[in-house]
Amino acid sequence: MAQYTQTFALLKANLKRDWLKIVVWLVVLAGIFIAVAAKFQGIYGTHNQIQTIAQTLRSSAMKSLFGPLTHASLNTAIIFATEMAVFWAIFMVIFNYSLAVGASRGQEESGLTEMVLGGHPVGRLAPLSAAALELLVADGLFAIITGIGMTLANMPGSDGSGDWLFAISLAAVGWAFGMVSLLFSQLVADSHNVAIYNYAFFGVTYLVRMMTDVSNPDYTWWSPFGWIEKTNIFISNNWLPVWLFIILGIAAFAVAVVLNVNRDIDAGIIQVRGGKRRSGFLRGPATLLFWNQRSVSLFWLIGMALLGTSYGSVFNSIGKLVNDSPVIKQVLGQSGVRALEKNQILSFVGILGIIFTVLAIISGAMVINHLYTEERQGYLQLVNTTPHSRYYLLTTYVLYGAILSVVVLFATMMTTMAVGNATLSHPLAIKYYYRIFAAMLPVLALFLSILVCFIGVMPRLRSIVWILLGGAFIISYFGRLINLPNWAMKISPFYWFNKVPIREINGEPVVWMLAIAVVLMVIGYVGYRRRDYEN
Amino acid sequence: MNSQLVVEVSGLKKSFGKFEALKDVNLTLHPGELLGFIGPNGAGKSTTIRVILGLIKATGGSAKVFGKNVWKDSVVIHKDLAYVPGDVYLWPNLTGGQTIDLLLHMSGQKHTKRTDDLIKEFKLDTSKKNRTYSKGNRQKVALIAAFSTDVSLYIFDEPTSGLDPLNELIFQQKVKQLKDSGKSVLLSSHILSEVEKMCDTISIIREGKVIETGSLESMQHLTRNAVTVKTAKSLGALQKMTGVYQLNFKNDQQTAAEFSVDSDQIGSVMAFLSQNQILQLKTTPPTLEDLFLRYYHADNEQKVGE
Ligand SMILES: Nc1ncnc2c1ncn2[C@@H]1O[C@H](COP(=O)(O)OP(=O)(O)OP(=O)(O)O)[C@@H](O)[C@H]1O
Ligand SMILES: [Mg+2]
Repeated sequence: MAQYTQTFALLKANLKRDWLKIVVWLVVLAGIFIAVAAKFQGIYGTHNQIQTIAQTLRSSAMKSLFGPLTHASLNTAIIFATEMAVFWAIFMVIFNYSLAVGASRGQEESGLTEMVLGGHPVGRLAPLSAAALELLVADGLFAIITGIGMTLANMPGSDGSGDWLFAISLAAVGWAFGMVSLLFSQLVADSHNVAIYNYAFFGVTYLVRMMTDVSNPDYTWWSPFGWIEKTNIFISNNWLPVWLFIILGIAAFAVAVVLNVNRDIDAGIIQVRGGKRRSGFLRGPATLLFWNQRSVSLFWLIGMALLGTSYGSVFNSIGKLVNDSPVIKQVLGQSGVRALEKNQILSFVGILGIIFTVLAIISGAMVINHLYTEERQGYLQLVNTTPHSRYYLLTTYVLYGAILSVVVLFATMMTTMAVGNATLSHPLAIKYYYRIFAAMLPVLALFLSILVCFIGVMPRLRSIVWILLGGAFIISYFGRLINLPNWAMKISPFYWFNKVPIREINGEPVVWMLAIAVVLMVIGYVGYRRRDYEN
Repeated sequence: MNSQLVVEVSGLKKSFGKFEALKDVNLTLHPGELLGFIGPNGAGKSTTIRVILGLIKATGGSAKVFGKNVWKDSVVIHKDLAYVPGDVYLWPNLTGGQTIDLLLHMSGQKHTKRTDDLIKEFKLDTSKKNRTYSKGNRQKVALIAAFSTDVSLYIFDEPTSGLDPLNELIFQQKVKQLKDSGKSVLLSSHILSEVEKMCDTISIIREGKVIETGSLESMQHLTRNAVTVKTAKSLGALQKMTGVYQLNFKNDQQTAAEFSVDSDQIGSVMAFLSQNQILQLKTTPPTLEDLFLRYYHADNEQKVGE
């Protein structure tokens, strides 16, 4: 037990440090969740409205995105649960990942853990346990707030048990993935690699869920992420998944403890090997950036290609009409049915375009962000005193980030096309894929420019770009399902291309979006040239 | 080489928000000169150096290197300058050897025999990842890269804070070699014996102001010498002499004493001592440390007196 001495003192310190982050996340996650629940009766209150949305949700496209809707007799609450479960679980996982990495590896990297463990009567396992408890506190708060909020929202068809199951299962999925992240934190010595392991794990569980949902939902049990769908909220209220999450979390934490005891501080279980004594390759900021980023970039490319492959592989079922009764077939005729099916796939491709673009932007933005994190960590002080101008340095990062984003997006679109078209008896023309790809480029440029602007002018506020990106994604991906008013939909840059690829790209938004991007980029460059380096 | 000043800083000011880190900094570094830059923690040494390097922008005054504006012409200036910071942070996934080559390439230099010799002298295992290096070893990486760079100005900001005495000696040798080959060096350090031994000129900064600049000898003139003396006759009268401080008699007869004396009073004090038949005499000029402590205390006393 001595190993856990002072866990609570550390927990308090962690909470003191992270409270703002936790509060912002909770306000956004629990707040929007409850707000949607409260408004839901107005959106899907009548039988007709429910039947219409059920049609949409029963399509394979929606299954792949949100999970299946199995029950026959529907009500408002069941629709809500189906739309929200997978989607919100994703955010819970991201939230917990970010907390877990910061409280474990991040803290160790900053030297805090060493100071605390070395100079104070603190147990060796206290930092790890404090991190685990911190997640428990954050997720517990989420569960309580959301549970109460859901009960108050009192949707037609909801019941107390279901309300609390929903809140607790979302908290549980986040917590369990957070615990897995603590395990990965013991394996490798820096937070970037931990993040790679984290998202690789999440990616695999997500893809397994997606593919099994479309093919055979029974297999979804194989993916921990898929358990969230098995709660059958407001239908049979199955608590088994919650227990599974808790078991997974405890098991992961137990392994993390064993690994932690067996490793040195500031090191991972996986040892750092030495390397070459000379380098002819490293010649300047550009080659250095490539060298430092190459494995992460490769990880992005492969991961996104896999994502494209998995979505492509379900195109066949996505094309199928939900309502393919003989009557409809007769009314539409064979070509009519085919046109309808094609449109269905095309709008799915449009949604995929948004998902892929958001991820592609993240891949590039993380590179550009590095320019600032490296500055703060002091790595750049030796670069900044060599004869390279600040413009050159910034351009190097911006170009690398932008090219990575574009390549990632393109590769994902192309693998989607290759696999998707292979499953279709009437493949889609390439032009549609090119069209959505081209339409997403101004959006991509816009977000990267916002980030450059922040890094040049107010680097400490740069995280706002993630909020903007997340907001745009939620609005465009989800707004239609909760009937957001049109003015709100227009806030998201994706809105302006929401008819692509069925229709041609509208030139006007391309022009103004690029114009804004250029202005922001110029402001960022000027600011970067003028400001003080922080380290 | 022309006689243009290598570094010329005058009336430099720098504020971080409301806080004035630099109030009035004046520095000059002549070609081939070794300038020591000392001062208490937080006095503004690193800040001054960072302005000179064009990393942060001055709020007032002027700073020039090679006659060029440090902010506007930083790229040109950096072509002919090498820098080693006190806290060296290196990309964790590169090896030391790769880092050295990278730093050399970036400054337009090549990995030469000199580089290999330096690696051997500093005994650096260049195959290790930076992540696994100790603080001293990271400093060695930056020092090796800097010393094998052929430029005319070298700036070191507490470069030896992590080095053991043996490596520090190598550092001092290398700096001496730079000086012998006509390079200019700006060295900020807390290791005063190092500065004392190597530097031609010393600038002392306190609370954002350079309060003293000159050679060690010229500064010693400003302060007191320590005297240990034994005489045949009593030295009781010393107590009343001007310029004598911290008088301490070693015996009851008052024929053995230790005291310090202002440099400008040393003549009259010596005359007095010889009247009393000197048996043994030792005078030591103040070390840089004494000087430094004096300035430092002056600072504190001022505060108390205010
Ligand atoms: N970016 C910054 N923002 C605010 N204050 C700063 C910043 N950088 C330095 N300072 C302040 O300016 C003062 C001078 O700092 P500086 O690092 O130049 O001291 P120094 O003489 O190098 O000290 P040391 O001997 O400890 O290295 C300090 O009070 C420091 O806190
Ligand atoms: Mg300093």
